[in-house]
Amino acid sequence: MPEMIRVEGLQKTFRVMERRPGLRGAVLNLFAPRHRMVQAVNAVSFSLQAGELVGYLGPNGAGKSTTIKVLTGLLVPTAGEVQVNGVVPWKVRERYVRQIGAVFGYRSTLWWDLPVIDSLELLQPMYDIPPARFRSNLAEFSRLLDLEPFINTPVRSLSLGQRMRADICAALLHEPHLLFLDEPTIGLDVVAKEHIRQFVSHVNRQRGVTVLLTTHDLSDVERLCERVMILDLGRLLYDGSLAGLNDAFESFWSLKVDFAEDYADVNLPGLPAPRREGRQAVYAFDHRELSSAELIRRLLERFAIADLEVRRPPLEETIRRIYQEKLLVDGERGQAV
Amino acid sequence: MRRTLGLYLRLISIQLRSQMQFRFSFWLDVLTTGLLNVSYFFSTYLVLQRFGNIAGWTIPEVAFLYGMIEVAFGTMDMVFSGFDPDFFSVFIRQGTLDQVLLRPMSVAAQIFGSSFVLRRIGRIGQGAAVLIYALVTLDIHWTPAKVVYLPVVLLSQVLAMGALFMVGSTLVFWTVQRVEAINVVTYGGVEVMSYPATIFPTWLRGFFTYIFPFIFLNYYPALYFLDRPDPLGFPVWAPFFALPAALLMLLAAWRFWTFGLSKYQSTGT
Repeated sequence: MPEMIRVEGLQKTFRVMERRPGLRGAVLNLFAPRHRMVQAVNAVSFSLQAGELVGYLGPNGAGKSTTIKVLTGLLVPTAGEVQVNGVVPWKVRERYVRQIGAVFGYRSTLWWDLPVIDSLELLQPMYDIPPARFRSNLAEFSRLLDLEPFINTPVRSLSLGQRMRADICAALLHEPHLLFLDEPTIGLDVVAKEHIRQFVSHVNRQRGVTVLLTTHDLSDVERLCERVMILDLGRLLYDGSLAGLNDAFESFWSLKVDFAEDYADVNLPGLPAPRREGRQAVYAFDHRELSSAELIRRLLERFAIADLEVRRPPLEETIRRIYQEKLLVDGERGQAV
Repeated sequence: MRRTLGLYLRLISIQLRSQMQFRFSFWLDVLTTGLLNVSYFFSTYLVLQRFGNIAGWTIPEVAFLYGMIEVAFGTMDMVFSGFDPDFFSVFIRQGTLDQVLLRPMSVAAQIFGSSFVLRRIGRIGQGAAVLIYALVTLDIHWTPAKVVYLPVVLLSQVLAMGALFMVGSTLVFWTVQRVEAINVVTYGGVEVMSYPATIFPTWLRGFFTYIFPFIFLNYYPALYFLDRPDPLGFPVWAPFFALPAALLMLLAAWRFWTFGLSKYQSTGT
């Protein structure tokens, strides 16, 4: 598969004015401004193959938006190399933006006062889409995204979910090779989220559109992406498969046990004491050192057991631990970058 | 170029359609802006009548100066309204410029297409009324050259003041808020151009001659149309310097704009 995006040593530093408090501070700010350099993105490198659907995760302020802005040609980086589909985005803006689509969850790219259909039709001459292609694409997307009920409504009167569907349609009418989705499901209800995920999955599979998806919602990622990149404090902490992320960091699994009898002591050697409640106990174990099969075998040797349940921590939990413990910063484990 | 122009016209037609949706408020706006300016001119008229003339200029002659600049400013304010610093600072703050950068069309053309304030025709109409009054009252010796030159002067005024709007908008890249200083030049320049240049102190006249060459845009062309002698002793081509002066201002503004835009793309806001 050909390479769609190549980012090497991307760095973006912003100069931010430090505001000092109080009247004295305000005067000083005016006449002797003090600046501070903030590294939004630091030494980030990755590459995306054509046809991939990759999740780009990170807490607020991690540098996700800065990366997306650089990749869409809105921002020129301080250092590093970026090539998308063979060109440098910000150098050939007008030519470049024809090849990409971008959707921002927090603001519409459509014309606020226009009915949806007028906004979409304006894109035909703007992107020089052949009229027949435009009509067939519009018909297909309109059906899949169910735009018909509100196609004549001005964008400003749409619900958030409707607006997002219209925006996604607008981003794809010119058949871009690459789609950037920045928080596309933010603020949507479960049904609307699912609708959008289905559609994104469809264009990725059927049309081979490469998708870079930024999101806070991990269920988006679990549903759509095989590969994730995790960014925090401007650095790429993880780049690899979602399954690999689970294997590497979901280290503390838990085993819930319902005993058939009352036992005074259910501790196992080498394991922390379980959390107990009546006949129930929950063991936490590091599954890389102790498999659940081995743990169950040891329990069955000693106790009469009524029921068992192995639980892997949810993805949220894993990611939260990665941020909190900066698990990957030292780059010693997993597929650390 | 043709494609860009076609797209621009489409964007404008959208603007007009949405403005005409609220027809009543639209005409009310036109009427009030028109009346406001008429009452302003009328108060000046009353003052003038008391003195009879300003620096030797009769009321219809001053009306000529005033009418020209009002028509031109109204037109500029309509066509360049996307570059109105007040409008553009909101444009930047709301992140609309990022959307513009994502579209395969010249950024400037999109900004021109993002606003077209049709209700400025109130001001244009009012200025035209004053100008027509001046033309009818004054006994101008019309020659073919004068007939051709009048619209050229109006166009030059539109471009020169548009250049100031563009400079004001470019400053927003640095300040985010609009910058009051440039408004002083824009609106102060309009004021200055509405009167005979000789009534102003030398420093102010110098400012609007050598830094912002507004004196060549209205006062000197007016001397030519009205066959008045030049009290300031400029070369004989001074009345015909309107278009070059405007084009120079526009070129400088365009350079500054391009520089500001690249700065925006390298720092973000």
